[in-house]
Amino acid sequence: MRIRAAVIVALLLFVLFGIPQLFSLYYVDSMTEVAVYSIVALGLGVLVGRVGLVSLGQVAVLAIGAWAAARLLFATTQPYPVVLIEAGLITMVAGMVIGLPALRLRGLYLALITLMLAGAITVVLDTINFPNGGRGFLGYNGSAVTPPPIRLPSIAANDKAYFQYSVVVAIVMFLLVFVHTRTRPGRAWAAIRQSEPTALATGINVTLYKLWALALASFITGVAGGLLAGASHYLYSIDFPAQNSIILLAVVLMGGAYSMWGAVVAALLYQFLPALLQNWGVSADWLTILFGLGVVQVLTTAPAGLADQVPRDLARLGRLLRRRLARARPMGPMGPVGPAAAGGDPQ
Amino acid sequence: MPPWSDFEPFIVSGLALGGVYALSGVGLVVLYRATGVLYLAFGAVGAMGALIAWSVQQAGAPGWVGWVTCVVFAAVVTLGYGLLFGPPLAGRDPLVKAVATLGLTLVLYGVMDLLWTTSGGEARSITLPTDNGGFTVASIQVDWTQVIGLAAGVVITVATGAFLRYTKLGTAMRAMANDREITATLGVPVRKVEAAAWLGCGVLAGVAGILLADLVALDATTLTFLVVSSLAAVLIARLRSIAVTFAAAIVIGVVHDLITPITSLTNYRDMTPFVLAAIALLVVSRRQVISRSREEA
Amino acid sequence: MRGHMPSLGAMISARRTVVLAAAIAMTAAACSSSSSSTTSSTTTPTSTTTAPASAAAVSTSQCGTNPGVVATGTPIPLGVIVTNQPGTSFTDISNMANAYFTCVNDNGGIKGHPIKYYIETEQTNPTQIAAEAKQLVDTDHVVGIVGNTSIIECAVDSAYWAKLGYDVIGSGIASQCWATPNNITVNMGPRYSSDGAVQYALAQHVNKVVFDQSNVPGTGYIAAGPNALAKAAGVPITDLTENVPISDADSVAIKEVDDAGPDGAVVLNFTPPEALVILQAAQKLGLEDRVKLWGCSTPCNTDFLAQSLGPKWNDKLFVNAELAPPDTTNTPTMNLYKAIYEQYGKKTVTGGIGSFSQMGFTEAEIAVHALESITSGTYTVATVNAAFRAVTNYNTGMLCQLWTFGDYPFHIANNEDYTVTPDNGKMVQAQGCTLISSVDPQIAQYRSDAGTAALAPAS
Repeated sequence: MRIRAAVIVALLLFVLFGIPQLFSLYYVDSMTEVAVYSIVALGLGVLVGRVGLVSLGQVAVLAIGAWAAARLLFATTQPYPVVLIEAGLITMVAGMVIGLPALRLRGLYLALITLMLAGAITVVLDTINFPNGGRGFLGYNGSAVTPPPIRLPSIAANDKAYFQYSVVVAIVMFLLVFVHTRTRPGRAWAAIRQSEPTALATGINVTLYKLWALALASFITGVAGGLLAGASHYLYSIDFPAQNSIILLAVVLMGGAYSMWGAVVAALLYQFLPALLQNWGVSADWLTILFGLGVVQVLTTAPAGLADQVPRDLARLGRLLRRRLARARPMGPMGPVGPAAAGGDPQ
Repeated sequence: MPPWSDFEPFIVSGLALGGVYALSGVGLVVLYRATGVLYLAFGAVGAMGALIAWSVQQAGAPGWVGWVTCVVFAAVVTLGYGLLFGPPLAGRDPLVKAVATLGLTLVLYGVMDLLWTTSGGEARSITLPTDNGGFTVASIQVDWTQVIGLAAGVVITVATGAFLRYTKLGTAMRAMANDREITATLGVPVRKVEAAAWLGCGVLAGVAGILLADLVALDATTLTFLVVSSLAAVLIARLRSIAVTFAAAIVIGVVHDLITPITSLTNYRDMTPFVLAAIALLVVSRRQVISRSREEA
Repeated sequence: MRGHMPSLGAMISARRTVVLAAAIAMTAAACSSSSSSTTSSTTTPTSTTTAPASAAAVSTSQCGTNPGVVATGTPIPLGVIVTNQPGTSFTDISNMANAYFTCVNDNGGIKGHPIKYYIETEQTNPTQIAAEAKQLVDTDHVVGIVGNTSIIECAVDSAYWAKLGYDVIGSGIASQCWATPNNITVNMGPRYSSDGAVQYALAQHVNKVVFDQSNVPGTGYIAAGPNALAKAAGVPITDLTENVPISDADSVAIKEVDDAGPDGAVVLNFTPPEALVILQAAQKLGLEDRVKLWGCSTPCNTDFLAQSLGPKWNDKLFVNAELAPPDTTNTPTMNLYKAIYEQYGKKTVTGGIGSFSQMGFTEAEIAVHALESITSGTYTVATVNAAFRAVTNYNTGMLCQLWTFGDYPFHIANNEDYTVTPDNGKMVQAQGCTLISSVDPQIAQYRSDAGTAALAPAS
């Protein structure tokens, strides 16, 4: 357990300080997006993995967060962390208001209604556009020739610093979710995912905890939206097409909806792979195809996704190797000499 | 508010749009009743078939060869998917099966953009001979293709409804969609029935693909995600009644177009399917929890 | 979601491959210090025997200064960022520019130096666009940016290019492309092209204009031009926007026609597929003759559209053409363009002869002309961009006017246009070079800054 924590800390330190030094700005920018979308993927993972609510509209939620953050950044001079929290709260309230009636639905219906709601939000955003420094509630000036960019935090006004800033915010969001999973909400969610009627029977207020999950997912997605606003400098509604929600679900399923590492893997698939392929001259369409295949593959064979399977596969590989080596080793009176080949692990 | 006469042509165009949604929506519900899978790749398969038909026509072949190619392609892909992924996912939640078809959608979408790029400002289109000629209603022309689109929706609704209810094969399909294991123990040739269901679905998707490519646009993105709007009708019918799906689709199309001349709302008219579906679902679910139980067919 | 037990062997091999691939990918990315963005492949030239009669008289070797001699010196790196996503792709522009550069490289290069063209494609993602700009500068070390065509790139990167001293020659779309000293285009862009289309309609004495455009960033800015023109002419104008892609073209067409009335004009500003869908819907509904005329900004100027529309639109649809109509212009430059397309561009320029590839050709042509004027033999950011800025009264052979960069706060180098109309499958000229009206305040401002340079006709 301690080794694991140490590894995680080491990895985070590398990400925070190593990546800006080692990678070109192109990849640092791409990694900033990975940080942002890892939070979004984490939110979707909470909904799908912990509570079993499939949402096909998380990109619309992200857009709401980005909208709110952009509006506040233009209209006020509040410090960035305050704006991020406010964007998160606004998105949380919106998510709960829109989501609460929908919670009465289950399974396929719920997923489809999230798709419908996302479609509606997308149309609204297409029409009102994102704030670009204009006045009025919507803050959009359609005639502006050179709209101003969205401001950056004063302590992170360049690419590398903003990357580190995003990673820190992402870590905070992950910790927030982590704390939830280890305390009462987490246990309630696990019970609900196992069997909703049983959970009800044991006195768990299912609706409340579902709403809580929705609130948590919406809050962190809203914060991610705020980060995205800063990273993008200019926001356009064409950046949030409804079909991206489908791709987001695909990568979350592939990365693993049940674990927090899965969210990071999902974000890497969603943002880093395209940047890589773009550099190698490979069309992004191949990725769409890959994600499609990945979804089908995951659902038919490995529902826990890559983040769960890869460590398990590596561990299995390790045991396989050890057993092979053990057979090659000379046998002592008590069996193979050397590290004991433990009996076959149950799957 | 514009005068009433301004709304008249929009009723006609709304019926045509409703017919478009109906074609897609009815297809989805039929497939769901027959296979238990909400085949979200319906639009993508039809779109790719239509693009293949376009390419075939560009190569010089007569129009009908293209249409046949489209239908054959859609049938083959759908049958292939059904045979490959139907059995492994058969026992899973309908949500899982639907999300799996989203995977197929993404694959097809990627392939379409690779093979039929949009780099040249190319404006592709499919025209059917029934595009020319029609009749005039409310001072605008209605062409035969739109009539066919609407009629196809009606025919599919009636014919498949009757097929599923009254024929042996149809009943077998419904039973299988409900519970594959039990149906197998009853002696129904499960694999054959399954294949027939998916094949029928594929043909439907191909026919709808050609019609929609003509009625809406020959554009991969538009056609693939048209299913999202027609899902609204499907949701209003709660994935059960084909006739309600048809009616809901028509209503959605008409309401959508009627909003067009109202200047304050016109930019929001694309929300119509989503808003209507949300209202219908939430109103109905006020009293009960809606879930897809196995017993509903 | 419960799971089935997968086969162990399959899982291990599949996952192992993924892990390995991921590890290699990460290492490759981290270690990439040399150029890693796409350099367009110099495809082996295809045979020229199939070139049309007029082009056969022109050998592509005219593009360079040393015919037949392949350039082998140190390359001159240039970069470009173009949008390439489902539904909107401008790769024809960069690919045609690349075809031109390849031709030049095959025929002497720039005083013996070949041009190395780094093409970055983007999917309208601001962070991606900003990152690609940095890639071009930090990793590929480009000395000039030629050919940028993107829905939002001018907005995202303008300040970055200005800070580093790059003067970008491109085909603009976003308003910033005509708003900064370091951005210049060969096209007119949506606002001024729509001006041209509306201007033509007003000249036909319509009594109402309906201006409908796709809902992309900057619709207010784009509509401001046509609105100024209509207001000055005393003609009422309605501004509409549609979310694209359009799935209900019927209602759009009815709405437009109803608003315009029998003596009005409907002017569209959409990409070709969307414009086609609206026009076809109008035809199917029998509405094309219900208005006096239809207009369209320059994207409609493609033979694809003319073929798909059919004869009902002859002399009914009037398209603003920012560049000389290829089918009816028989000049050496136009023939050279067609010959280069045939020999070097056929595989990659999927739209063929048309506005997009013309723009790519023109931008490359200007860049090569500027590079050839550099006498110092050093090709750095400073020298190359100074050369770009120094281009004055250059006859591109594709535009109505001589092209000048000039030292102005913003540039609308192309402010005079043709009007074309479909004629049985091809676009033919309906009106020759006509200046965009100075009633548009931006045009007026530019002409006042640039003086006569803004008006110099090419012929």
